[in-house]
Amino acid sequence: MQPILENFLAKWVYPVGFSGPGVDFRLRQTERCIPAWDKLVTMALNNAQADLQANGDDWKITRALAGYAAEGPFMSIKQMSTQILSVTIDDQPKYIDLQRMRARQIWDEVKHGQLHADVLLRGGWIQREEELMNNARANMQPKLSYFGMTAMFPHIHPLARAGQHYFNEAMACLGISATLSVIDDPLIRHQLRSQEAEEMMHFMEGKYQIDAYALTPENQKPIEEVFDFLLRPWAPEPSRALGGTS
Amino acid sequence: MPGLKIDHEKCTECRMCYVACREIDINAVVVSATSRHLLEIDDRCVYPKCTVCLMYCPAEGSIVDAVSGKSLVPPPPEVWTEHLRWPRVPAPR
Repeated sequence: MQPILENFLAKWVYPVGFSGPGVDFRLRQTERCIPAWDKLVTMALNNAQADLQANGDDWKITRALAGYAAEGPFMSIKQMSTQILSVTIDDQPKYIDLQRMRARQIWDEVKHGQLHADVLLRGGWIQREEELMNNARANMQPKLSYFGMTAMFPHIHPLARAGQHYFNEAMACLGISATLSVIDDPLIRHQLRSQEAEEMMHFMEGKYQIDAYALTPENQKPIEEVFDFLLRPWAPEPSRALGGTS
Repeated sequence: MPGLKIDHEKCTECRMCYVACREIDINAVVVSATSRHLLEIDDRCVYPKCTVCLMYCPAEGSIVDAVSGKSLVPPPPEVWTEHLRWPRVPAPR
């Protein structure tokens, strides 16, 4: 296992403040995730090494455009907003904090989009953010995602997002750690360092939601289905900005 | 004095500690009466009997032992309290 993953598991995944069916369920799902997480770290390390050996600034532009596509206005403002709608009025007393966490995450993703735009502005590759609105590379995400651009509708269950949070945000944290361990470019490091803490917060949202809310088979099922989807071989790769290849 | 303290140099104000603490009816994490709405931990905190907030805090070093100043995020094994049961079973006061 990659040391970066081992460190992540020990520091952030395994610590628990209580036991119960939600924690047991999360730890079972964690075992399923570990091989994919390990593979991602290896990929992110290799991609960072390849970027270092590339001539010119194209790799920085590619990373920033991919990051903007994944976290720019389309994804962060429009798609992310729909996740709050999965909580019905009847469920609101039960999931009020879940709604608040997601509202907060929308703002986080908006800031992440700004960070990628800032890389492009500070690098002199664009003059104004508006230029990105007409750039296909800044607006498209080729990979499928359970809640990606193919899912511009309210989520099917209030807790389904927890699986995405837990699996994908761990990927983001790991991809950032792996990239930071290799790349010394100040622009890229600034962007990743700024994003790092909030990706961890999104992972913790997933951890908390599963531990605290996934207490019955009925509540675990929609989350497990997300893991089933995300663990398919073609699904899990993160954006180029965070160490993937797409 | 509460046993835990928030280090505002490290805290990102994500509110995970507030959410977790309120969920178990301890309610020791409060929004301060300041324009920045910073989170604080008050006397209702029962640390070390309860350490739930530490398990969901994402910002390294942002919750510390109020006496020693030692960082408890990420939580070292000695503060794990997996013997407590979820859901909604408050720690003994």
